[in-house]
Amino acid sequence: MANWTDVFRAQLFSSIAWYKNNRFMFFSMFVWPYIMVGMIYALGTIYGDIEQYTLQMGISNPALYLFASSVVAMSSLFIVDAVAGFTLWNRWLGTLPYIILSPVKTSVILIVAGLPDSLISPVITMLGIVPAVIYYEGIIGAAKTLLVLLIIFLGMLPMLGFASLFASLLLVLKEESNILSSLSPFILLASGVFYPIEILPRILQAVSEVVPTRYVIDASKLVSTYLLPEARPLLLIIYAIAILGGVYNLLALSAIGRAERRVKKVGAI
Amino acid sequence: MNRIKLIRVKLLASAINAERLVKRYITHLRKGIFKREKKIVEALKEVSFDVRYGEIMGLLGPNGAGKTTTVKILSTLLIPDGGRAIVAGYDVLEEPEKVRENIGVTLSVEKGFFWKLTGRENLKYFGMLKGLKGKELDKRVNQLLKELGLEELEASDKLCEEYSLGMKARLALSRALLTDPPVVILDEPTLGLDPPSARTIRTLLIDMAKTRGKGVLVTTHNMFEAELICDRVAIINEGVIVAIGTVPELKRYVSGKVSIEVVAGGLDLGHDPDLSKLGFTRDEVVGTIDTEEGRLRVKILCSPGEEEDMIAEVIRRIGAAGGKVHRVDILEPSLEDVFIALTSKREVGSHGKLD
Ligand SMILES: Nc1ncnc2c1ncn2[C@@H]1O[C@H](COP(=O)(O)OP(=O)(O)O)[C@@H](O)[C@H]1O
Ligand SMILES: [Mg+2]
Repeated sequence: MANWTDVFRAQLFSSIAWYKNNRFMFFSMFVWPYIMVGMIYALGTIYGDIEQYTLQMGISNPALYLFASSVVAMSSLFIVDAVAGFTLWNRWLGTLPYIILSPVKTSVILIVAGLPDSLISPVITMLGIVPAVIYYEGIIGAAKTLLVLLIIFLGMLPMLGFASLFASLLLVLKEESNILSSLSPFILLASGVFYPIEILPRILQAVSEVVPTRYVIDASKLVSTYLLPEARPLLLIIYAIAILGGVYNLLALSAIGRAERRVKKVGAI
Repeated sequence: MNRIKLIRVKLLASAINAERLVKRYITHLRKGIFKREKKIVEALKEVSFDVRYGEIMGLLGPNGAGKTTTVKILSTLLIPDGGRAIVAGYDVLEEPEKVRENIGVTLSVEKGFFWKLTGRENLKYFGMLKGLKGKELDKRVNQLLKELGLEELEASDKLCEEYSLGMKARLALSRALLTDPPVVILDEPTLGLDPPSARTIRTLLIDMAKTRGKGVLVTTHNMFEAELICDRVAIINEGVIVAIGTVPELKRYVSGKVSIEVVAGGLDLGHDPDLSKLGFTRDEVVGTIDTEEGRLRVKILCSPGEEEDMIAEVIRRIGAAGGKVHRVDILEPSLEDVFIALTSKREVGSHGKLD
């Protein structure tokens, strides 16, 4: 009997095959973080020069922070895109019914299928920024990048639930893609990539407490601020991520089960 | 697939058993930007039939009859509002995963592949989703690519975006057969295909049922195909099964009748599918096939012995309408005659056209 690992394997296979057949896309993934950094940098300097930005964001190492946070931001967008977009994309392609025809439980497929893509993207992006990081920071910088990558993977756990929750909403709605694209800037804003969270409106500050990316950003700030980050604050952040992960994934599991039933009832597959 | 399990399943039940399936869709008609009107479509009204192992069952019906709805319910993609379906020995509502493990399905053949992957890659992907892996998967994929002629067409390693419809249909069938499932459910697998592709697929379907003992359900609106490959045919119209049986059995519905086909020209009929301008009544004319460009092909059912009078009458009426009769044939009733006789009885005004 097939299980979730088969779904993961299949999806990984198709992503790799896709990149193999679309090399241009593959290389553009390496360039992406640099474009992103440019944008974040430009936004950051709205405060004035780079020194001031460093001060504002409370970091001592702007280069590493900028690179890391751009990857964090992207990875959290990618996972929402990959998991929530999975249904949309496959519905549009007409592949969704055949995917659902796998003997694996439909809710499991919908949650797991977006994962490989969301993991591949930050890894490739990280590889893309390694040259820049080594240039600025040397080998320690590269090691820190690895640490950030680990935190990103951890941060994906709650984002997975978050994205699945969102996917189940998309599954039952008809007008789909607009919501997806309007969600991304919102996540970026509420996670404190562009601005310190403190300057956001009160309501957004409250919302940011439950946006997992915020904690990943915090963690990567920590990692890029000190030469050897203190364990305690980092651990606290990791706890927060884990709790959010549990909550979101439990919510998602029940939501997606319901969405699945509804979709199979109205005939939207 | 476990042989013993397969045999047990075969002894215990038919491949597919659908009992009084009911499905209603709620649609919203858009009336302006904000106004929407709810409308309930009764897609299936207590549909029952079964498919045995080793046979090809055809579900024959015009567009909108409920064929795809039936297929989706049987393959667990759609939850019925009433009734019960057992597929490969499992209830579609209670053990959908088990059902999916034991079926191969194609829906519309032109969609449903990753364009940027090759045919082989597509098959491997869907095979993995079914739990196949490693050498076994590669072997199976190669075998199917050969069997369906994709290898011969040099299409196996082409991107799917470059596939013709025929190639897509072949690939779709390969995907359905990846796990060598005991039950195969195909929704219009030869729709719009080039003759060689259609032939390859039909030959394979017959082989599936006859040599490999699978239960095959094929939907189609192609009479010719139904007559050619199906052991039994269920005729569905507007969500109701109107007849079920072998092709000879079905032909008994119009037994004792002869079918006259008349081809005429030079007529100005406009859009008049019931041919009222020619003074026919619905009961006499069972099939109008082609009223374009003043050309008329019409089929009339009548009792033996009456055919000469009927032919004379038709020639007279066509002459009176300013047309000219090109040809008259007396034919054995075909499945099409059965279909039209059965479905036009249900509702006057449906033109009995199958497209
Ligand atoms: N998802 C859906 N929502 C609303 N109505 C539908 C849906 N799918 C099919 N229908 C309607 O149900 C009826 C049967 O459709 P279908 O099963 O696709 O017929 P067929 O495959 O025989 O052409 C049609 O009237 C069709 O318009
Ligand atoms: Mg259909």
